[in-house]
Amino acid sequence: MQDKMFYKDLAFTGAKDFKSGKLGRREFLYLCALAGVASSSVIAGDAEAAANEIVLWNWGGDAVKCHTSAFGAAFTKESGLPVKYDTSGPLQGKIKEMVNSGNVTADVADADAFDAISLGKSGHLEKIDYSVVDKKKVLEGFAWDYGVSIIFYGYAFMYDTKKFKGNPPSTWADFFNTKKYSGKRSLYKWANGSLEGALMADGVSKDKVYPMDLDRAINKIKSIKSDTIFWGSGSEAQQMIVNGEVSMGMVWLNRAKAVEADTNGRYRLNMNEAIAMPGAYLVPKGNPAGRANVMKFIASCQVAERQIEILRCHGMTPSNPEAFGMIPDDLKRFAVTSKENLSRVLLNDPIWWAENGGNAVNSFLEAIG
Amino acid sequence: MVPLFGLIIALYAWPVINILWLGVSDPELGIQNYKLLFTKSSLVKILWTTIRVCLITTLCSVVIGYLIAYTMVHLVGRERNWMLTLVLISFWVSVLVRAFSWLTLLGRNGLVNAALVGSGLAEEPISMIRNEFGVLIGMVHYMVPYAVLPLLANMQGIDHRVMDASRSLGAGPLLTFVRIYLPLTKPGVIAASLLVFIISLGFYVTPALLGGGRVLMVAEYVSVQILITVQWGVAAMLATLLLSGVLALLYIMSRFMNIGEVFGARA
Repeated sequence: MQDKMFYKDLAFTGAKDFKSGKLGRREFLYLCALAGVASSSVIAGDAEAAANEIVLWNWGGDAVKCHTSAFGAAFTKESGLPVKYDTSGPLQGKIKEMVNSGNVTADVADADAFDAISLGKSGHLEKIDYSVVDKKKVLEGFAWDYGVSIIFYGYAFMYDTKKFKGNPPSTWADFFNTKKYSGKRSLYKWANGSLEGALMADGVSKDKVYPMDLDRAINKIKSIKSDTIFWGSGSEAQQMIVNGEVSMGMVWLNRAKAVEADTNGRYRLNMNEAIAMPGAYLVPKGNPAGRANVMKFIASCQVAERQIEILRCHGMTPSNPEAFGMIPDDLKRFAVTSKENLSRVLLNDPIWWAENGGNAVNSFLEAIG
Repeated sequence: MVPLFGLIIALYAWPVINILWLGVSDPELGIQNYKLLFTKSSLVKILWTTIRVCLITTLCSVVIGYLIAYTMVHLVGRERNWMLTLVLISFWVSVLVRAFSWLTLLGRNGLVNAALVGSGLAEEPISMIRNEFGVLIGMVHYMVPYAVLPLLANMQGIDHRVMDASRSLGAGPLLTFVRIYLPLTKPGVIAASLLVFIISLGFYVTPALLGGGRVLMVAEYVSVQILITVQWGVAAMLATLLLSGVLALLYIMSRFMNIGEVFGARA
């Protein structure tokens, strides 16, 4: 078993070299033959496939279905390359570990913009090729050297319309005012969005949120700590609201529509002062499909119609300005870059997060623990 | 035997050594990660939370486990088998399923709160989860079978004629229990306590789900340092600390009993 894995790995590496021209076809086939007697053809097929497919590393769940219908199917039709998925969730530590181990199995990761910035700096990513990927198809300021925003996700709070019928909350200041608006709150456990919300609640205007005053934000969080529960995953956030555990709860925006449906409209999304997070497509260094192929794939995800489809299917908002005007009426309310929302949301600053994120997350965890 | 040993070294010891090394080499060579233990009060707080939660879990699990094991030893045939089956069923249910069951049962609008409020016993729902109490419920529930099994093994080995002798010499039931039975079950109690405590130290899912984010234990903190903040050195330092703690406890345990037997191996 060990041997088989070893030879398979050898053939896999060989396929990469073969693809990039460092290895001749005969040598490559010889390597594949080495990989096993009975199963050589299967393994050879596997290894060659690794160089001839795009592996998109995402977060699983609906992402596979939606990435296929929005991006994968169209790209395969254009290029002939199949798109496959690794659904284990490209957290920064996992990307770093994959590149360090030398066994890179993903071509492109649907990660965060601050990951693109800090992993780019530490040399774990391939540069984005802006002769293939189009900078004009990204909201200005959201295309970086080592990653490009394809979608925005975000944080906002939902509130109990029955409880706050006469006077619905509409700002983070309302969210943090547990005297005027009674009941429990829920916030994201790993600091993102929660800190920004706290600062806005404390009277910091939207354009002054960054660079964040961490101590001030943490103090504000502490002021409602005893009335707040914290979630670590989207489903947990959704549950806390649907089960009626909180009267106001923070959610990931893509869940908001489902929560409104699950509670028959009792809980409603407040988009004012929502925090828009740029997602980033980034390429782990030494990706198996090669840089040229994966850049073509990323460029194909910029097509406006495809980004509308990802909004429809997965609740992620387009980053291509061409798509902003194409957002269907029933989804405008949930999209951060729709005309009615773009001016009232806060755009996250990934550069601040890349530099201070580790410290911010730990301070936050320590404050709530 | 030798290649097998080599395999264990390669697959087990080597990665562990790597972790130890990471603790003193990331982000740079030195003991800066260990110094944090003295300079960063929050780390001490996390360790203290972990130890406190684990100690309370151990105490509760062993007391409940003792009662269950004691009852089982004094039952015969079918009834004892039934009890054993029930203990084993809960032993096998996944930790995730149990955490979610508790969320459903004890939540604000859960069954228990609905009954309490509905019957007028409580004016408004009681917060039983998303706090340390919730974590303790989840952990004790998970750990009770781990306490029962070593205690049961111990109690089954006790010669009951000794208790009869005590009674015949004039000691009452309480005195017999305190002076004779309890000391005889001491090895079982120690084994169960150490086993429960060691396993509790590594708990991750239960505190994360039932603690509502406010009960931060070492395992979850380590995972955050690896995956999110990418401070591998701090993670490795805490992992090393946990590992040495467990090894020290195992060493203490080995002074009292045959470790292999406690963990199910037969010599």
